[in-house]
Amino acid sequence: MKKKPVISNDSEYLRYLEKEKQISDQIFDFSRSMITIINREYSYEKANATFCRAHRIRTQSVVGRTLSDIWGDDAFKTYIKKNIDLCFAGNTIRYEAAFDTPDLGTKYFEVIFRPLTTGNGEVTHLLAETTDINDLMQSKQAVIEKEEEFRTFETNLPIGFLRVDPAGNIIHANRSFHRIMDCNGDIPLPGINIRNFYASPGMFEMQMEELEESNTRSFGRVTLKNCNGTEIPCRLSAYIARDETGKPSYIDFAVEDSSRELMLENRLLQAQNLETIGALAGGIAHDFNNILATISGYAEMLQDDLQDDPGHYEMASRIMSAVSRGLSLTKQILTFSRQVEQEKVPVRVAEVLKETIGFITPVLPAGVTLKSNMSKTEVRVLADPTQLFRVFLNLMTNAFQAMEEEGGRLVVTQNVVDSRTARHELNKDTVADEYVLISFKDTGKGMEPSLLKRIFEPFFSARDFGKGTGLGLSVVHGIISEMDGEILVSSEKGKGSVFNIYMPVLKDKPEPVVSEKRKKILFFSGNKHESQILIIALENSGFDLIRASDRDNLYSVFNNTANTPDLIIYMADTELIRQEELAGLYLELKIGTPCILITDPDHSAIEENLLNSGIIKQHLLKPVSLRELRDAIQSAIK
Amino acid sequence: MPGILIVEDDLELREMLRISMARKKYTVLEAENGREAILHFKPSVTDIVITDLIMPDEDGLKVIMKLRELKPSIKIIAISGGGKVGPGNYLNLAKALGANAVFSKPFSISDLMIKIDELLQAEQHD
Repeated sequence: MKKKPVISNDSEYLRYLEKEKQISDQIFDFSRSMITIINREYSYEKANATFCRAHRIRTQSVVGRTLSDIWGDDAFKTYIKKNIDLCFAGNTIRYEAAFDTPDLGTKYFEVIFRPLTTGNGEVTHLLAETTDINDLMQSKQAVIEKEEEFRTFETNLPIGFLRVDPAGNIIHANRSFHRIMDCNGDIPLPGINIRNFYASPGMFEMQMEELEESNTRSFGRVTLKNCNGTEIPCRLSAYIARDETGKPSYIDFAVEDSSRELMLENRLLQAQNLETIGALAGGIAHDFNNILATISGYAEMLQDDLQDDPGHYEMASRIMSAVSRGLSLTKQILTFSRQVEQEKVPVRVAEVLKETIGFITPVLPAGVTLKSNMSKTEVRVLADPTQLFRVFLNLMTNAFQAMEEEGGRLVVTQNVVDSRTARHELNKDTVADEYVLISFKDTGKGMEPSLLKRIFEPFFSARDFGKGTGLGLSVVHGIISEMDGEILVSSEKGKGSVFNIYMPVLKDKPEPVVSEKRKKILFFSGNKHESQILIIALENSGFDLIRASDRDNLYSVFNNTANTPDLIIYMADTELIRQEELAGLYLELKIGTPCILITDPDHSAIEENLLNSGIIKQHLLKPVSLRELRDAIQSAIK
Repeated sequence: MPGILIVEDDLELREMLRISMARKKYTVLEAENGREAILHFKPSVTDIVITDLIMPDEDGLKVIMKLRELKPSIKIIAISGGGKVGPGNYLNLAKALGANAVFSKPFSISDLMIKIDELLQAEQHD
């Protein structure tokens, strides 16, 4: 217990006061805080050594100076004065702020104003205590930054993080989890049970059992159900945290969306599947061609022997027609299995697309509309235009068939995408800087996923039995693959399908073809669009093309001797000129030019006559590829 | 009578070719694969060879090279039905190796006969 000082007279009392003052001055000066006493005139009446040091002023000179003098008029008026007034009204004011002192620079301070009262309760002065809390603030800031860093890490990673209690109730879910599960912000996940997200019941219990064996566990691919009830394949792993007794306290889950991974795996599987079927079908086609050769050989000999027996001759002719059909089938199979090398020329996709649209527009089913939108139409790819035409025609016909019952709209677009986009979409190394993307989007019946998986397989038809050979899309796939392209399909039952074709853009400028040796070909056909495709193909192969679409054209071509063609290609078209008339024209105009005849596979007896007339050097069946046409031209012109 | 060698592993097709050639009074020789064709080749009586390209035991390309070596003036017609390599480039290769004509199966017998006549006439001019 402190001993009370003994004071017996005035001088002793004065000494005692002096000593007390010295002690309190020292406490006042030694404080780490800046301490001042401020009067109602907003002037300093007293300031401790710490304050004077910070402001680099001598103790005596502070007394009597105003606050606005020390802190500046602006600072005083904007925030110091109002706090001081509040304090003079009897309140203790406390706030934190950053401000300058000449000695310490800008730092964080804690400021406390306390009202000082006299005996009658009147506030005459206030005590201002300002403490440097910079270190404290800095460490606080560091904690906030650290927290922020972790939060962005947890928020931005495309992995869903989920913390659940041992009963499975969600404690915390990050943004990625919301995104993967397609749960919008208004469904607060905490409180919801994780069991709601499993596609099959009992899965949570099973995983908890596995976590009994080891605290960290990867569960591989697990099917989850998102907020809309759609199933999502996810990769799941978890960590179980336990208290000191070993009882589970919470479980952390990491959830990765593996839809794309699964889609790519399926695509790869599909490609391998197609390759196997292709190799098989190719082998069969080879043997089948041997068989067809045998059949057609004997049928031809029969025709030879039966010249005078029209009835039996006709039977032999029917065998020949059947062989033609068989040949068209094996040609398709060989195309699908990529065992026919295509003759490729630089070609503008947009041009072929335009002709295909022109060709198909007159036969649009009722209620179906066709819209096209092409950009960067100048880009070229290396392809056989006739095969491209086949691909486009096939996809558009399919789309129309998918819409013919209910009507709908087919949108055809051509765009150019960079290699990065193509690489992401195709998930394989790209061979060009740019790709042409041709998209066919219909609003038809759409397809089930099980159907979608198999549409490129040969003999697999989505249509009713008996409608088509089921080879169409497999041939499309073969043609596109052969051009280093890729075809992707997505579809939704009842909504429609989208076929996307990617083809590498040809970068180099076309080499000028030597003009002196260019052969002149007269292309005689009534069907503008279909023949235009062959004309594009031949022009890009280095031939000069003259088009004749009626008898008068033909006359004028042959009356101009400077323009005599080296070859005539006649695409059989009854509206244009009857085939037997062609022979007559040849005689009339004294034409000696070799002719290539192109007809539908089931050619008629009239064509047979034309074929026997000796005018026709080569006979090709539709669809004609550029390679076939060039081979035929080579043999015919020779 | 001009002699024609048919090299074809498909028995029925070979038989059909044999009959059609015989009808035109050609002397027909047969081989069921490339090895046999090369082994039993009779240059003095063979004017034309019709060979399949894809066969077990020495393929048609080997036949073309070997027979051309044994008898440079021989006329060769290659026929193919497509298969592992594709008829397009296989037949082109045959042509590059010295086949005088190529046909892809199934082909027209009359076209083949016209070609044979043409080649035989050319031989007389040589």
